Amino acid sequence: MKFIKNHLMFILPLMAILLGIEFYLIFERSTDTYETKLTQGYTMLVVSKSPVQLDTFQNLNTHISSSSEVNRDEIISNIAKGMSQDSSNSILAKLPYFYNLGLNLYLNSDELEQIKSDLKADSNIKRVETFGTSHASKYKLFAFIKFTLETFIIFMMVVSFILIVKQMEIWKYQHKERMQIMEIFGAPLMLRAGVLFRIAFLDAIFSTLFISILFMYIKFSWAMDSGIDLMIEHQEALFHASDILILLCASLLLVVIAVYFVVFSSKGVKE
Amino acid sequence: MSNVIQATNLTLAYDNGTKEIIKDANFAIKKGEFVFITGPSGSGKSTLLKALYGQLKPREGNLIVGGHNLSNIRRKKLQELRTHMGMIFQDYKLVNEWTVAKNVVLPLMIAGYSNEVQDTQARRLLKHVKLPEYADKYPLELSGGEQQRVGVARALSKNPVVILADEPTGNLDDYSSNVIWDLMENACQQLDTTVLVVTHKIPTIFSLPYRHFIIENRGVYEVH
Ligand SMILES: Nc1ncnc2c1ncn2[C@@H]1O[C@H](COP(=O)(O)OP(=O)(O)OP(=O)(O)O)[C@@H](O)[C@H]1O
Ligand SMILES: [Mg+2]
Repeated sequence: MKFIKNHLMFILPLMAILLGIEFYLIFERSTDTYETKLTQGYTMLVVSKSPVQLDTFQNLNTHISSSSEVNRDEIISNIAKGMSQDSSNSILAKLPYFYNLGLNLYLNSDELEQIKSDLKADSNIKRVETFGTSHASKYKLFAFIKFTLETFIIFMMVVSFILIVKQMEIWKYQHKERMQIMEIFGAPLMLRAGVLFRIAFLDAIFSTLFISILFMYIKFSWAMDSGIDLMIEHQEALFHASDILILLCASLLLVVIAVYFVVFSSKGVKE
Repeated sequence: MSNVIQATNLTLAYDNGTKEIIKDANFAIKKGEFVFITGPSGSGKSTLLKALYGQLKPREGNLIVGGHNLSNIRRKKLQELRTHMGMIFQDYKLVNEWTVAKNVVLPLMIAGYSNEVQDTQARRLLKHVKLPEYADKYPLELSGGEQQRVGVARALSKNPVVILADEPTGNLDDYSSNVIWDLMENACQQLDTTVLVVTHKIPTIFSLPYRHFIIENRGVYEVH
């Protein structure tokens, strides 16, 4: 009973930290795709007197990643239906050039305004429409959710780490006497801390496996059956095999820090 | 013959050197000698032993044990030196979550002996200290005197070069005390072990020649 309790007090916070790390990884991956989608879906409209090449736009502002000209003949054919060839030609001559510009990043409205003024510095460019407000509100909501979740994850991990340190202090108290006696008889550190290392490493591996299996289950079984669009859409982002390695390294690192903490604070009193 | 222990102008102190316990002590002990140390309670007998196994660094002077100056000995060297010492403590210092047998063979475990060797040694030593039935019990199930004898068995288990014993018979009746004295005499005589024993009462029947130090008023004096 004491043994189980001892382990749980270490395994539970360790698993909480691993959960935090895994959530963070998943979150980064799925928001990455969301962010790309938002960026790809967005364009600003530019009106110019004469044709403009993409690199000319890019010289004005480096965030511009693509430009596509709105077909002028189509515009003419829409507005000049039934007109004579001559008059439609003269309209075509007066008609400015329209471009849809894509960006390489998700930008807030201040940054969009900056691009707008950069573009307007060119006298050839007559108008820029950024559609800033609807874009900005989507972005703000997105940034807010991201910030809240990341704060929560960090907070949870800090609290868990404190719990681990607390459990370490209990272990220190339990093992201190034995480790000091062994030290007096000349036992090297690895022998003195052997039991602790064994317990802690087992716990680390167990926690990693548990979390990995949990997320694999979520990815391959639960996500599909859940009927939640978001889950199905992001199934690929849910768990990567490389995550096991990241989790294992993180838990082993935590364990080594924790055990060294116990060992070094239990060294024989040096009067 | 060479000195196993040599103290020159040795000063020992606690509390960052402000509380002086022993001042300017000079003595030398040769291999195979048997030494009794007596003195009033609180005079610094245990403190001197603590310095000898490297747990308390000299504040001044030199303390050389087995060729190593304990003032500046490296951690690894001290570890090794300690594996050649057999310590017996006034407060036993047994590991309560280990069986008696495991406690006895701690020095063998540290030295990396196989489980079979540890087992036979544990059995043999427990017979020597008259506790043959206690191998699988735990220290807290034993009386004070029995725990003390386990401590003695542990100190002897790896045939140490030096035995440092703090009141090894403090809790024992005359019969058990004599058992312990016999064991120490044998170690000294047959294995040329150097033995330092802190005691408040030097045994009346003692067959070996011995030296006698008294610690008093911060000095270490030899009685001739
Ligand atoms: N860790 C310590 N820190 C400070 N002072 C200490 C410490 N250990 C012992 N002392 C003090 O050092 C003095 C000598 O203690 P020590 O234990 O060496 O006495 P002793 O001769 O072994 O006595 P006893 O016969 O009662 O065992 C005592 O006054 C004690 O209070
Ligand atoms: Mg004492």
